Amino acid sequence: MNISAVLALLVIGGALGLLLGVANMYLVVEEDNRVTEVTGMLPGANCGGCGYPGCSGFANALVEGGAKKVSACAVSNAETREKIAAYLNETPGPDGTTVKVTV
Amino acid sequence: MELVSLFIGLTFVNNVVLSKFYAVCPLLGVSKKPKNALNMGHAVTFVIFVASIVTYALYHFVLKPLEIQYLDLITFILVIASLVQFVEMFLKKFSPDIYKAMGVYLPLITTNCAVLGVALDNISAGYSFIQAAVAGIAVPVGFTIVIYIYATIRERLEIANVPASFKGTPIALITAGIMACAIAGIAGLV
Repeated sequence: MNISAVLALLVIGGALGLLLGVANMYLVVEEDNRVTEVTGMLPGANCGGCGYPGCSGFANALVEGGAKKVSACAVSNAETREKIAAYLNETPGPDGTTVKVTV
Repeated sequence: MELVSLFIGLTFVNNVVLSKFYAVCPLLGVSKKPKNALNMGHAVTFVIFVASIVTYALYHFVLKPLEIQYLDLITFILVIASLVQFVEMFLKKFSPDIYKAMGVYLPLITTNCAVLGVALDNISAGYSFIQAAVAGIAVPVGFTIVIYIYATIRERLEIANVPASFKGTPIALITAGIMACAIAGIAGLV
């Protein structure tokens, strides 16, 4: 086995990873953590049946007001829908306002 | 003079899209609006230029002295993937609109074969460092010109009276073919 090949790849990969890590510290974007929460609550089927690109797209639309009804997600059951609606109606965003969504 | 003919050769005569048929995925995917096409062109230009310089240096100063040239493919992909990741973070921070408009095609620059193609061609053609840098500008400029022209044609096609069976993607593909024929007219010039 050629040990220099392994080492060279390790060093190159490590250096690039380090550069990206440093860049990430300067370029990090504050995201509305409600989007992450709602994405976690959705079924995660990523079917696109709601008309948005994947579950994170739908969660984004719910939080930003593009979608008003959780039932646009056909895969979710009644329990999930109520949980998401209750969460969004009660949890304020970074600007202190809540979004109104219905089940 | 040699560099000028290299530039023109790689930009027009041996155009990366229309005569080598690299990078056809973004050509079809991001050419619905001329503005998005230009943004894609800029992103690809940055990635190819930096990638061609970095991969050239890595090949000649790291892989060659260690006699592990067979690792070129995986090393180049590492560099390209990191660059695309960087562009993605940069756009997400400074231009969320462009980030959204590009959608999945932004991370897909990683698999844009024009990027890897330039990096590998620079090595196999035996270019010097300056020539590799010129190739790193000429190829993406050719790509940007073609994708922009193609996007403007597609915009006109939206209102053109196209037979029903050719509407949409079929006529777009035929258009791309005719553009390739046009470029074939100057083949072998440089």
